[in-house]
Amino acid sequence: MKVGIVGIGHGKFGNRSDATVQELTFEPFKQAIEDAKNLGREDIDALVVGSVPEYHMQRSLPGVVAEYVGMNPKSVWLTEAACASGSAAIRTAYMSIKSGMHDIVAVIGVQKMRELSTEDILALMGRVGDVQWESIFGTTFPGYYALYANRHMHEFGTTKEQMALVAVKNHYYGSMNPYAFFQKEVSKERVMGSDEVASPVRVFDCCANADGAACVIMTNEKLAKKFNDTPIWLEGMGSASAQMSLLRRPNLVEIPSAVEAGKQAFEQAKVKPSDIQVADVHDCFTIAEIMAYENLGFCERGKGGKYIEEKQSYIGGKTPVNVDGGLKAKGHPVGATGVSMTTEIVKQLRGEAGKRQVTGAEIGLTHNVGGIGQYTFVQILRR
Amino acid sequence: MPFKYFGKTNFTPYTKVDKFADYLQKGKLMGTKCKKCGEIYFPPRADCLKCMDDTFEWIEFSGKGTLNSYTTIHAAPKGFDDIAPYTIGIVDLKEGGRLLAWIGDIPKDEIKNDMPVKVVPRIFEEIPEIKLYYTIEKP
Amino acid sequence: MDLKGKSAIITGGSLGIGASIAIELARAGANVAINYRKHDTEAKEVAKKIEKLGKKCLVIKADVTSYNDAEVMFNQVKKEFGGLDLLVCNAGINKDRVIWKMSEKDWDNVINVNLKGYFIYNKLASEHFKEQRSGKIVNITSINGLRGKFGQTNYSASKGGIISLTKALAKEVGKFNVNVNAVAPGMVMTEMAKNIPPEFLQKAVDETVLGRIATVEDVANVVIFLCSENARHITGEVIKVDGGQYI
Repeated sequence: MKVGIVGIGHGKFGNRSDATVQELTFEPFKQAIEDAKNLGREDIDALVVGSVPEYHMQRSLPGVVAEYVGMNPKSVWLTEAACASGSAAIRTAYMSIKSGMHDIVAVIGVQKMRELSTEDILALMGRVGDVQWESIFGTTFPGYYALYANRHMHEFGTTKEQMALVAVKNHYYGSMNPYAFFQKEVSKERVMGSDEVASPVRVFDCCANADGAACVIMTNEKLAKKFNDTPIWLEGMGSASAQMSLLRRPNLVEIPSAVEAGKQAFEQAKVKPSDIQVADVHDCFTIAEIMAYENLGFCERGKGGKYIEEKQSYIGGKTPVNVDGGLKAKGHPVGATGVSMTTEIVKQLRGEAGKRQVTGAEIGLTHNVGGIGQYTFVQILRR
Repeated sequence: MPFKYFGKTNFTPYTKVDKFADYLQKGKLMGTKCKKCGEIYFPPRADCLKCMDDTFEWIEFSGKGTLNSYTTIHAAPKGFDDIAPYTIGIVDLKEGGRLLAWIGDIPKDEIKNDMPVKVVPRIFEEIPEIKLYYTIEKP
Repeated sequence: MDLKGKSAIITGGSLGIGASIAIELARAGANVAINYRKHDTEAKEVAKKIEKLGKKCLVIKADVTSYNDAEVMFNQVKKEFGGLDLLVCNAGINKDRVIWKMSEKDWDNVINVNLKGYFIYNKLASEHFKEQRSGKIVNITSINGLRGKFGQTNYSASKGGIISLTKALAKEVGKFNVNVNAVAPGMVMTEMAKNIPPEFLQKAVDETVLGRIATVEDVANVVIFLCSENARHITGEVIKVDGGQYI
């Protein structure tokens, strides 16, 4: 029995000093209910919140969110998987629907990050490796991906210029996305001229910490058509983990959990990488998008740099990737990202993506990575 | 010797492998070896990942290895802004396992992936507290 | 006390307490390097006694106020003995005067030999011990560094300074597994002491509760203890060897 998405909502990502974390969730939740038809808030059986608690002063987020959007007394819980919390939340909603435990489930991904200072966030996010053996040397999240980038450049000849081209593409598409944090294009020169954060990663190679929320409403095959003429089906749900520490991974040029989760999703959905017509991947750093092309099989191992150089991930190329701006232009409110990616692919498969539409897209993919690849969730959606 | 002496800032004062800090203060870099199946670990761990046995012994590492990757961190987290920029590297150790540490006295233009290196145990010297660490040096 | 395989430097090792320390260290198993300023015959005598005990002895002429002389000595010892494990600073002079009769030179000389000399040797030893993560330093001070002595504004100041130097240094090198302690003798029966007028010697005996004056071995034995593993948990300490002269 399939599980489908019948309502989507997305808030503006950015510096949301206008709202508390729970207030942020109201807008996309309401949008999602209105996006579906014949759906009232009281029809929703359960709410899953995807978020990373450590960024907020407010304890126990699902509690305040459920109360604010008016989901009491329905079942509510948190799912966390670092930056993949949004997809993890969708996965548990999927499980609850597939098992028959719930019929209609709302998933809200939300995060407020900009109430912390930059040094505090660097310290917090730097502890996403192994704090016992690594954080004592002052590791940072960009630093970890920089170690990947350095090795990828060494083994495959990937260049800083190719990394910059990812940022150029994503800002180009981000300028067409009213929900994105950054809506201006950037030039390759601007990216390559920006300050180094952790060599070779520059400021413009990094996604921005952001505040934001997004929502999807899911239901089973039996009820889906009641709430939407074009339910979008979750046909492949891949999920895998990798070692927390880079010190214990097989190599520093690929994210093993992404490879594994991708394999699972392709197998379950019975499609090949070349069948994917539009994708949203986890470009927390430009090198991450380059590795995603390779890990998902859009191109051969080591050829990710060439892929972007040849514009294969633009609309018109082999597989358009992150044509909503990606994390790079949208910003990355960690808990919300997975849900945001899902709403974008749903839009594309429904034909509602306007200027950013990939014509005739029927099969899409989201690739959501947590931390430095401790978790990856790959979803394949089909019209 | 509490493990809390390990690092500029330590986040894990309590651990099953806390003798590591003892050895480090004596100038020795130690890893663990599973008593049952012989699997060797660096960083040290008490419970064998392979066979799940929980008995282990300490073995001395030479510190020799090759540099797998490195990066110079400019935007430093809280607690490390006073030493930024600094370069961290990952070393594939000769006896097995990997280690992450600051690169010490290797001149910037001589740092290259796959170069042979040696990890040297260190003590922060100019402060009264005992704080231990190690750096990556030329062999 | 077993000091087999250890190498030691003793400053002012040709006479009195220094000579006894050198011999007792050798008896305990250490190779010993001593320096002297002018008593070369006596220094050679000490070396002979040490060689008779089956240990090596280096005799080096040095001015303890010279950093250069000290560096040369350290390098020589490290080369010939293959290492260094123990330092005993003992070389000292006095120039007793009431302060209004004490010249600048009287002050400077005593401070330079007794305090700066100890700084120089403690510094060189610390640099070496810190790298090898082991070592022991014993600084000979005096009960007149703990209390003031008439006519010894210079000497008391220098001996008191040695105590503070010892304590501060103990804090710096502890983490490298290096112990730094001081021994504070009272009146000791040395060649130098034999020149003291008898009524002053008697006064010193009367000050003690044991009714006797220390021999050089009484002091050396405590130094050997502090150099041994039995004293591994003692650092920054001052041990009086004064028969209860100053309690």
